[in-house]
Amino acid sequence: MLRKPSRLSFYFDPFTVAVTVLPVALFALLLIAPLASVIYVASLYNPAYLLSDPTYFDLKPKGEFLTATAITFRGRQVTVVRVSGVSFSAVVNSLLNGLTVTVVASAIGVAVAFAFARYDFRGKHVLRILATVPLLQTPFINSFVIKKLFDWRDGILSWFICDVLGLPIRIGVTGLAGVAVAQIMTFYPIVYLNVYASMVNIDPSLEEQAENLGARGLRLFRTVTLPLSLPGLAAGAALVFIFSLEDVAAPIVFNEHRLISYQVFNRFIEATTGQLSPAAAQLAVILLALSLAVFAAIRKYVTLRQYAMLSRGGRWKPRVGKLGLRGKLAVYLALAPLLLFSAFPQLAVFTYAFAERWTGPLPEGFTLEHLGSMVSDPIVFRAILNSLTYSLLAIFLIAFLGISVPYAIARFRKLELLDLLATSPIAIPGLVVAVGYFYFFSSSFRGTILDPISSGPPALIVLAYAIRRLPFTARAVFAGLQQVHVALEEASLNLGAGRFRTLVNIVIPLIGLSLLSGIMVSFVYCMSETSTSVTLGGLGGMGEGHSAPITYVMMDYLVRVRGPYIVASLGALLITAQLLVITIVNVVFKQRYAYIGV
Amino acid sequence: MTRVDLKGVTKRFENVVAADNVTLSVEHGELFTLLGPSGCGKTTTLRIVAGFELPDSGSVAFDGEDVTYKKPFERGCAMVFQNYALWPHMTVFENVAYGLKVRGVASNDVKRRVREVLKLVGLEGLENRYPLQLSGGQQQRVALARALVVEPRVLLMDEPLSNLDAKLRLRMREELKRLQKRLGITTIYVTHDQEEAMSISDRVGIMNRGRVLQVGTPVEVYFKPSSLFIATFIGRGSLLRGWVDRRQGERVRLVTGNGLQLEGVAVGGVEGEAVAVLRPEDFSLTPIPGANQVEGTVELVMFLGVHKQLRVNANGDRVIAYVDPEEKIREGAPIKLYIRSEDVKVYPARGWEELEFE
Ligand SMILES: Nc1ncnc2c1ncn2[C@@H]1O[C@H](COP(=O)(O)OP(=O)(O)O)[C@@H](O)[C@H]1O
Ligand SMILES: [Mg+2]
Repeated sequence: MLRKPSRLSFYFDPFTVAVTVLPVALFALLLIAPLASVIYVASLYNPAYLLSDPTYFDLKPKGEFLTATAITFRGRQVTVVRVSGVSFSAVVNSLLNGLTVTVVASAIGVAVAFAFARYDFRGKHVLRILATVPLLQTPFINSFVIKKLFDWRDGILSWFICDVLGLPIRIGVTGLAGVAVAQIMTFYPIVYLNVYASMVNIDPSLEEQAENLGARGLRLFRTVTLPLSLPGLAAGAALVFIFSLEDVAAPIVFNEHRLISYQVFNRFIEATTGQLSPAAAQLAVILLALSLAVFAAIRKYVTLRQYAMLSRGGRWKPRVGKLGLRGKLAVYLALAPLLLFSAFPQLAVFTYAFAERWTGPLPEGFTLEHLGSMVSDPIVFRAILNSLTYSLLAIFLIAFLGISVPYAIARFRKLELLDLLATSPIAIPGLVVAVGYFYFFSSSFRGTILDPISSGPPALIVLAYAIRRLPFTARAVFAGLQQVHVALEEASLNLGAGRFRTLVNIVIPLIGLSLLSGIMVSFVYCMSETSTSVTLGGLGGMGEGHSAPITYVMMDYLVRVRGPYIVASLGALLITAQLLVITIVNVVFKQRYAYIGV
Repeated sequence: MTRVDLKGVTKRFENVVAADNVTLSVEHGELFTLLGPSGCGKTTTLRIVAGFELPDSGSVAFDGEDVTYKKPFERGCAMVFQNYALWPHMTVFENVAYGLKVRGVASNDVKRRVREVLKLVGLEGLENRYPLQLSGGQQQRVALARALVVEPRVLLMDEPLSNLDAKLRLRMREELKRLQKRLGITTIYVTHDQEEAMSISDRVGIMNRGRVLQVGTPVEVYFKPSSLFIATFIGRGSLLRGWVDRRQGERVRLVTGNGLQLEGVAVGGVEGEAVAVLRPEDFSLTPIPGANQVEGTVELVMFLGVHKQLRVNANGDRVIAYVDPEEKIREGAPIKLYIRSEDVKVYPARGWEELEFE
């Protein structure tokens, strides 16, 4: 502490420095510098390199979007319809795939949100739960299940159409089309939840006014409800686009190489075996630039302040009406099957975990053997321990940043930079973080514990988890702080307690439930983190004492055809952890906020 | 006991000057009240004394020691907040004991002192309640106890009674005054309620638009308001706008637009357009030699208990007068009122537009 009090020392006491300067320094080290080093490495190479390689950049379409062939299958004449999508080149494919997924997911998400926000009907409760099921993260295995669903030989869809209904048609969805379908099924609830939040926040009198003027039904929706829900739609759609771009699990499962994310993943593996790959860096920069551009466009909707506002739920009693006959048909014949269908992967993951065999269209037998393998298989058990350790360690950093940053933003003015840094990780592709961490820490921290080449990945995984999963805690704490009147802190300062003591004795107890909720949510999403886990995670090799986390082993086992069963058990484990946390947070702590996104 | 000195304290928020060159001294053991309409900068000034805000310029000193840049927790002030700011996760005992624990007082002494102060404010037996289980008045006492128990150098109170109902407010007012005198703590009190300020304070500072306009005892500011604003803000008064047509030293004669002539005393450089302020209790129904005479019709009679309030229309000029409640006066009747010329204060009309009328 400075001895003589002055204007400067009034503002810059050790506490204020700790909650502002220290976080900024940490973000600089753990976010800015690694991202900058990706850009730096990319700039070492001629950009023409990427543009001239037709793998990455080419505008000529290749392949048929859809083929139909008549064949004899298992003694029957059938038409096999194969949808695989048209490929151009990695960069173009990623953009087109991202746009397609965003548009379709938005359409479904808006329809679902509208039905739930404006109408009451039997079974709504169950359907609302179903609509959030896809948000339960089971990396790889959910894409695997979707792939199986659409397999033309043993897929459930073809079985149902051909073998149950008796139509001579079998349908197969593979390749780029498969990736798109898997992503749509996984991501549409992000749009739904954001749009729903917007819709229940619309002042009912605005819609009543329009109704008085004669606007009804779809017209009312198009002219009033939808425009007023645009903030939610913009935020949700933008997040879907970003998540689709950076998603690496679906491309790996569908073995679809012709996407940026897969190429970065693949080149990353090459890079770690020796030479730096110019393509990895340049593709990562493209990924980063696209994501940040989209994030910047919706920035005004995605700040900690906005998070806090939405999490408080509706201010009004929303307008809810009864459905007409056409509405009922739409809900029960279209919406309900769709939601059931999109929740299928998560349900199937459990089935896989307990099934003896599931090679044909339907599962056979019941066994606990796969669950047991999680403990008896030393590689898998080790991965579980690793993930627990990494996530627990990450939580310490998350707790520090997750308290200090929202506190600083809530209590001191003009800290947009910190707000930006704390929320941006949701929009920064994990793959780019992984590439950046590898470049930055293996060169600037050579030979230290942070160097992944000499020390393996554990330290980097912990740091990457912390940064990537910080927004969940930061948002919860910020919402909690909104409820704590500043005078409660001032009363403590006033009675002679320092700022740190005030934080510990007054603020933290008062935001306790929010903090705990945020930390638990961050923790389970650390456990299921994918992008940096499957890249950095493999750096230590895969021997007995390996340092890979759960998701790396899930990918490894699935790709190397050790069977989906034990992977499904791990998926079921992750889902169970998430369900547990969601239940505790919502039912026990009575905290309300969306699981993901805004 | 501590003396507090503010010198030229100025604080701006964006484009509002919340405190404008505030200079004042609060003496040892004095109860000093900052009084002014809402938004005039009272809270800001108090928060600067507490150390929650840094002034843009000027200084704050306790007993001559400059504390302008000291942190709130280094000042030894204790504040009673308008909304009490009791910690909901702590019991009454824990709330009150907090300041002592922070100061490292031994736990036996903590127990004793908390018990003493709770007795002082009349809250024995409620130690283990949580703030949400208390009534507004009890919460107010806890807030007070929490501030008093640390024996602060300066006690700060920001509208401490504004959240209580009218009856309780009167009782707490008396209790506060009694406690403050008994303990002799230098106290700065903030309120927008002029009656509260008058009844409780040793001295009052009247603020408007960030500036301290007049400092004095309640009697001084009541009987010798230094400006038209203060004259209207303190107590009630009828304002008559007119023209000064004769001046002899302090003595002036004001003629209103409706032709009413009033002899009065000038406050400040009165010339030309002017405003006379007449307090309702200064009117009399019995003739006084040499006094002004106001002749008119009774428009409205209201019985207020200690007196009757009359609204009299004197040829278009309206005045409010208090008379004996037993007087039998009917609405519509003609009336003659008398008021001494030394009770008619005449101010320059500048600033008339800024005044808020009842
Ligand atoms: N933190 C602040 N930011 C911006 N303006 C403020 C702030 N605090 C007070 N003000 C403004 O300063 C003026 C004085 O406020 P305040 O001191 O609270 O008045 P009072 O307590 O007399 O009602 C008001 O116009 C108020 O809007
Ligand atoms: Mg105030």
